[in-house]
Amino acid sequence: METDWSKVFEVFGSGIIGVFLVMILLQLLTQLSTRIIDTIENWNKGEEAEATPKK
Amino acid sequence: MFDILKELIFSSGAVSLTGGNLVMWLVSFVLLYLAIKKQYEPLLLLPIAFGILIVNLPLTFLMEPEHGLIWFFYHYGIEMDIIPPLIFLGLGAMIDFGPLIANPKTMLLGAGAQAGLYVTFFAAVLFGFDLQEAGSIAIIGGADGPTTIYLTSKLAPHLLGATAVSAYAYMALVPIIQPPMMKLLTSEHERKIVMTKLRPVSRLQKICFPIVTGMTIMLVVPPAAPLISMLMLGNLFKESGVVERLTNASANELMNIVTIFLGLSIGATMTATTFLNPKVLFIFFLGLFAFVISTAAGLLMAKFMNLFLKNKINPLIGAAGVSAVPMAARCVHKVGSEANRRNYLLMHAMGPNVAGVIGTVVAAAILLKNLG
Repeated sequence: METDWSKVFEVFGSGIIGVFLVMILLQLLTQLSTRIIDTIENWNKGEEAEATPKK
Repeated sequence: MFDILKELIFSSGAVSLTGGNLVMWLVSFVLLYLAIKKQYEPLLLLPIAFGILIVNLPLTFLMEPEHGLIWFFYHYGIEMDIIPPLIFLGLGAMIDFGPLIANPKTMLLGAGAQAGLYVTFFAAVLFGFDLQEAGSIAIIGGADGPTTIYLTSKLAPHLLGATAVSAYAYMALVPIIQPPMMKLLTSEHERKIVMTKLRPVSRLQKICFPIVTGMTIMLVVPPAAPLISMLMLGNLFKESGVVERLTNASANELMNIVTIFLGLSIGATMTATTFLNPKVLFIFFLGLFAFVISTAAGLLMAKFMNLFLKNKINPLIGAAGVSAVPMAARCVHKVGSEANRRNYLLMHAMGPNVAGVIGTVVAAAILLKNLG
């Protein structure tokens, strides 16, 4: 059977690019979500500290 | 009396034995030896080896469609895509994504290692395999057994035994295959790089990760859904901390049960007629090629990243981008500590290692989308 080389190159190229794009997207989302959570947690800590009466 | 004895002998499986059956017994005995004596992936190799043995006993009809016992395991477990996702559920309940969340850059190393997989795809086509077969062979480079089985059962089911055994064999051989590649592609100076301590990751961040990551992957590459959804559910069980029984059941009982059915079913696909041909045997060579190229791609990706990073990473951790969890990370740690005794790379390598699991599933889903 004749090999469809255009399909081979398409799978090869789209595969490599696709994996990198998805992983870069995941990296950015992970960084963004951790920053948001860090900000929320720091803000909560600050509020708790303010609510605690000073001795 | 003599007639009964004669009938008994002629209706027995022994008279139907072929040379191929005997060769497959030998393959089975070698795998049993590796599993029991050498303890190479015994949880999988032992049932696989036993499956090979019993399916190559003539007239047992264990893989007879609609009748054979193991055919039912195979049909419902693998053909209907139940077992690989359940393995991922258990894997998710065992994996700690903390190192990856602490250092998300290592996500790129999980992607880098997948480049080797596509190089192998190209090589397999050059060697005369059709596109679906080439895709199934290439995924061996990801060193991820369940993903290999999942993809092969969809693209080239006749190669299932060879690709699965190849993937698990190379996962077991990580400590032998990877260190020479690591030493070849990195300098002594690079191997000595000490990485800064990972920042702590909060419980909320660990809970959000499987939800955000799972949703993103399933939205972008829907064919990844069966595997990634179960992986992230298992991880959510673990990180939520509120369903300890489900976490334990996923990571222990369920994982063990499906491993038995998986191993037996895979072994049972390896009959003499399907397994003993040069094309199938060549898959083992291409599988090794895939694994070596994936390791190299991960290492080179780490070196490439270092060109732009202020805080350099130890390029050895790139080798953990293949998803053999946690063997690849342990191997990185060992080679790193040989170069510098103060180097503790295990946790740093776990980041790319778990990113490799995600990367391999994404790569498989893209192959499935293009070739399925």
